Amino acid sequence: MSKRPPILQLKSLTKSFGTFNAVDGIDLDIAEGEFFTIVGPSGSGKTTLIRMLAGMEQASSGDIILSGTRINDLPANKRPTCMVFQSLALFPHRTVGENIEFPLKIKGVDPAQRKARALALLDQLRLPQNYYGKSVLRCSGGERQRVALARALAFDPKILFFDEPLSAIDYKLRKTLERELKDIHRETGKTFVYITHSLEEAMVMSDRIGVMCAGNLVQVGTPNEIYSAPKDKFVSEFMGDVNVIPVSMNGSRTITADTFDKTFTVAAIPEAFSKGHLVIRPEFVRFVTEAKEAENVLEGKLYNEYALGSRIQYQVRVGENVFIVEKLRQHSSTLRRDQTVLIGWDAKDSILVTG
Amino acid sequence: MTDRGRRALIWAWTLAVLVFLYLPALCILLASLTASRYFLFPIQKWGFDWWRKTFESLEIRQLFANSITIAFCVMVIAVVIAFFGALAFARYNWKGRTVFQKIVLLPIFFPQSVLGLALLLWFNAVGIQTSWMTAIFAHLVWIIPVVTLVISIQVYSFDPALEEAAFDLGASRWQVFREVTLPVLLPGIVSGAFFAFLLSWGNFPLSLFTTGADATIPKYLYAKMVAGYTPGVPVLGTVSTFGAALLLLGGYWLVTLRRRAQS
Repeated sequence: MSKRPPILQLKSLTKSFGTFNAVDGIDLDIAEGEFFTIVGPSGSGKTTLIRMLAGMEQASSGDIILSGTRINDLPANKRPTCMVFQSLALFPHRTVGENIEFPLKIKGVDPAQRKARALALLDQLRLPQNYYGKSVLRCSGGERQRVALARALAFDPKILFFDEPLSAIDYKLRKTLERELKDIHRETGKTFVYITHSLEEAMVMSDRIGVMCAGNLVQVGTPNEIYSAPKDKFVSEFMGDVNVIPVSMNGSRTITADTFDKTFTVAAIPEAFSKGHLVIRPEFVRFVTEAKEAENVLEGKLYNEYALGSRIQYQVRVGENVFIVEKLRQHSSTLRRDQTVLIGWDAKDSILVTG
Repeated sequence: MTDRGRRALIWAWTLAVLVFLYLPALCILLASLTASRYFLFPIQKWGFDWWRKTFESLEIRQLFANSITIAFCVMVIAVVIAFFGALAFARYNWKGRTVFQKIVLLPIFFPQSVLGLALLLWFNAVGIQTSWMTAIFAHLVWIIPVVTLVISIQVYSFDPALEEAAFDLGASRWQVFREVTLPVLLPGIVSGAFFAFLLSWGNFPLSLFTTGADATIPKYLYAKMVAGYTPGVPVLGTVSTFGAALLLLGGYWLVTLRRRAQS
């Protein structure tokens, strides 16, 4: 992906409000045709960042470079980019067709051509042709989503920005729309820059993901890199349920837990490591009957179990510490609450992070 | 209480409220339908004589011309100023906005007679001859705040992202205003216009002090009640009231038609 020439480059891009830096010196290259997602919790600065990229917010310092040209001072209506808003911002007094045609009307395209383009876009977005004359107020959530995307595509932008457009939609429909969006990305070949607070959503759609925290990009990588090699505790916890143990390295290069008495076997120790966290995904933790069945084994008590659709999650308490174990439903164990259990994992399945 | 009893009580109460609200307008109509010179109840002899006389009077025609001119000018000026006032009131965040919100609404609660008197004193002091034109100014002082409030209600429900989206899709500031802001806020602007026109049309205390030698319908009604009552007074009162009601119903009908045409 990143081998291709960058269409968008950010150089120490900063946005300050008073003494507070909402976006704190971000450097990033986004390749042409890439689906790049910025993911972070609320307040991480991701909305401010995308609003700067779209031209709705003025950067305090740094550069935004689009295809080699600095566009910091170009207002939104002069930028060849377009945004799909969280509220979608469909014009309520217009029909579906008029909404889609809006950017074409502004460009002065003649009515017949406008209509032809709008009908083609309805088709591309899997909306029936007779929606052309329908009021947007009478469209369902998913349909409105498609109309908003069609309107943005009608603008024919170099980059399409998305500001959490799926956050208000129920789970099942959201899953469908995520896939549709990825398909449309493939069909149009355009550069998509998407922001969301859901890493799960980012995983499904993106070529690359940037994890944002407190105005900084903590880690940038493919979904697989982020998943299998999180850079620090923040990124690993952001991935969802995960076991994180505060650990330190002692003189003899062994890793020991900070809050209880245990030494761990790990696959690799990062350079200059002294203190950090040991991260183990719940699907890599398993119940064992004897200590020798896994490289790391802990004894605890089963506290509760939760059904997560195709998987079952177990909560095991080891002293004061809570561990989670996940198994596929068909491999579920018959365990009683408060039963003493042994849980274990292998060194290759754990990650040692510095932060 | 039984279900039936409760329902009967609700109906009776509703009816009582309706009678209370609309009986005065009805009484005015009845008082105008007499053939005699004075108001006697029950009405001895019915007739449309006073209606004919009233509509033939040149003085009355002049009254209508005055009231309509004032109300129309007030409507146009108030809507333009109040529209931008409402944007400042509800759309934009700026320093001093909360103070503005309070100050701009305050004149609504001024006693209108005091406001009228104060304006009259000032017009005299500055040497401006009072006429229907000074009345327009006086009405505006009270009506602009009301219309600002009416339009603000619509502005509050306006998603600022609509303007940003239009701008982002390449529209100029002016195009954003013409294509998005204005049409989306139109229902609020139309209700504001109705408020302005009808509040000016029916206003008495401000007109009393500031019209000078010119008269409006409410001012004339008062003068005639004080001295020289004829059944022409209730005729004029009826026309004034039902005219306002018709205007409102007409506006409502237009809005409904437009909405139906949209869907």
